[in-house]
Amino acid sequence: MDAFSSSSPSNGSSSASPEALMDQLKSQLAQAYAEEFLETVRSKCFAKCITKPGSSLSGSESSCISRCVDRYIEATGIIGRALFNSPR
Amino acid sequence: MAGMENSQELQRFLEQEKQKAMISEMVGKLTSVCWDKCITGSPGSKFSSSETSCLTSCAQRYMDMSIIIMKRFQSM
Repeated sequence: MDAFSSSSPSNGSSSASPEALMDQLKSQLAQAYAEEFLETVRSKCFAKCITKPGSSLSGSESSCISRCVDRYIEATGIIGRALFNSPR
Repeated sequence: MAGMENSQELQRFLEQEKQKAMISEMVGKLTSVCWDKCITGSPGSKFSSSETSCLTSCAQRYMDMSIIIMKRFQSM
């Protein structure tokens, strides 16, 4: 991992201090996590709520989607807790 | 520049983020699998207690299973 320290003086964006690099990495990772989560929620809720796509989204489909998103987020919390803070 | 210190700091940071990525991937995967198994009807405005306990058991049994599979392969 010396690439980070040794090459930085020569390239143009040498202003990248480790702190700046870490912050940048963190925000890019956060964005990647969010995008992946969003894509999963989309496919799960489409499967659950849009069973027969019609000419427009119905009111019941819309409210199903809202509930589905809420439940999927809740399920993620339940799974996390089941794995990491429960006596086994 | 204080190259050594910086690279050690970065190394630690990357290690931490790698760990976080693994955990988040596992939670994401299990949520997907257990959602399909446990949430059979259309999602309500609240989880029923059986759905909640199914999700919990699903995640924990998946881990149990992973251990068995790992042992099975180790003994081959």
